[in-house]
Amino acid sequence: MGIPTAPIVTIAFKDLAYSNAAQRGMPHERICFTPHPVWGKSDAQMYAYLEGNDPVTHKPLMPEIISALTKPLTPDEEKSGTVTPPVGPEIFSGSQDELQDYYMNNGMTDFMPVILPTREKVDAMLKGTSHSPDEMIGKMCPAKGSYPEWSYTVRNVAVNAVMAGCDPSYFPVVLAIAASELPSLSSSTNSFATAAIINGPIRDKLNMNYGIGAMGPFAQPNATIGRAWTLLSKNCGSCGQPGQTYMGTFGNTCNYNNLIIPENEKDSPWEPFHVQKGFKPTESVVSVFMGLDIRQGQNGPGLGIKPVPQYQEAFAFNFGTCAPLFGGLVVCDPLVAQGLVELGYKTKEPLLDWVWKNATISVKDAKTTLFGLRMAGPGAANLPDDARIPIFRNASYVNIVVVGGETNPYHMVANMSHRGSVSIDKWT
Amino acid sequence: MNRRKLLSLLGASPALLAGSSLHADQRQSAASSGAKIEALNPKGTPPPITLIPMAPRLKTLDGKTIYLVSDGFPGADHFLNQIAIWFQKHMPSVKTVYRLKAGALPDDDPKLWAEIKANGNAVIMAIGH
Repeated sequence: MGIPTAPIVTIAFKDLAYSNAAQRGMPHERICFTPHPVWGKSDAQMYAYLEGNDPVTHKPLMPEIISALTKPLTPDEEKSGTVTPPVGPEIFSGSQDELQDYYMNNGMTDFMPVILPTREKVDAMLKGTSHSPDEMIGKMCPAKGSYPEWSYTVRNVAVNAVMAGCDPSYFPVVLAIAASELPSLSSSTNSFATAAIINGPIRDKLNMNYGIGAMGPFAQPNATIGRAWTLLSKNCGSCGQPGQTYMGTFGNTCNYNNLIIPENEKDSPWEPFHVQKGFKPTESVVSVFMGLDIRQGQNGPGLGIKPVPQYQEAFAFNFGTCAPLFGGLVVCDPLVAQGLVELGYKTKEPLLDWVWKNATISVKDAKTTLFGLRMAGPGAANLPDDARIPIFRNASYVNIVVVGGETNPYHMVANMSHRGSVSIDKWT
Repeated sequence: MNRRKLLSLLGASPALLAGSSLHADQRQSAASSGAKIEALNPKGTPPPITLIPMAPRLKTLDGKTIYLVSDGFPGADHFLNQIAIWFQKHMPSVKTVYRLKAGALPDDDPKLWAEIKANGNAVIMAIGH
């Protein structure tokens, strides 16, 4: 634009602001800071910020803002050219203990011991795919449009898969997740979670667990594939650096190995998730999701009704506190799916349509939520306060997957959106 | 700016300046804590960074038009209004114009930039989330 600009950011985002400016080509940008937060402060409190000091420089803020716009540029501020950020040498050497410490202390792990990625182990992992080690898979960053995108090869992903403890037979699944370009660690001040539904013959080939404890620490592929996703997000996507590329105020325990959900296609009465999305039943596919959380749904109304509980009412109720920023994902045991078929939901589509229409919020309540009526559709603002509107934008935002070991007809609900489906077969 | 700080801002650990082997003091303990092995770097490739020269500064703000731009984060509009009030009180010759950038927080707004380029002399932008 060529117009002098003084950016103002609150102190909580200092490292992120400096890092972002540097990565976008202005390492010397004159950023001014206010105390944190601005959100929620009164006009008087905000004016006091202006009359006070920049919490970074401890100098009066408004004169600093004026100086940012008027002080002549330094030679460094006028520089042009190209800089290639270094990522370090190809090989690290040391004893096992030293290397474990080195990887951990330099932000390359999830702070649990890793399988050290020796050349032998990486070569073995690379045998898990027919693709060339130097083939570029994709690009990833903590939030598209806000950060530079890092690129990564099959070999880069192999190193991370070794670190996570994957067997080479799992590698095509990890590659497919990498090809989705969805990071498991986003930069938002929300602490997002991600999930991956696995469909097709690959589940049995790898002995993935889709029965009792499917989403718990009970099977190597379930555990390590998800862990590889987080490690490759950190190392290949530059994600997960607190204060710079990760701002989640709480963090999310799901990020350790994400929600890996091999669908129980054998015991489900419905077509599998990937078939709904246009794939053949015989194809192996990973479908990735991103959103806020997942929770158990045991308190929903309708669950006590006999002989067949009205599970769909519980789904709609349990979605009641979800944010419209993301969609809804029902994760249910095969017993629930079989019960819903008895209620007449012979396929997933009418069920999802019903749930979308009945997972609602009053207009009055919606107006006071964080996003107000912005995602409610153009007509919502004209509705009376006691009208009820769907929480999710349309039925395509609601999905369902069947998993579990039929020990009881339970379900969970996740406030997550489907972000894409990728062929695993392509990466074998 | 020193190299350590620049590396940190670019998302790379300053420890990379140490080279392929570990620091000397750690190497000393290597002999006593096990055989040396080699392991691969797990990192992908960042894009090259094109340095952008900053726009020339103004000699003074007196008589100038400053656009106060919000990226839409909660409270930004009120905060920028306080800046407008500050200028009215302390530098009344400065004209301020408030604008909300279009789209989501990270989205570009070429229409707004064109307006500012045509009609403004400087920008104060409140950036948040």
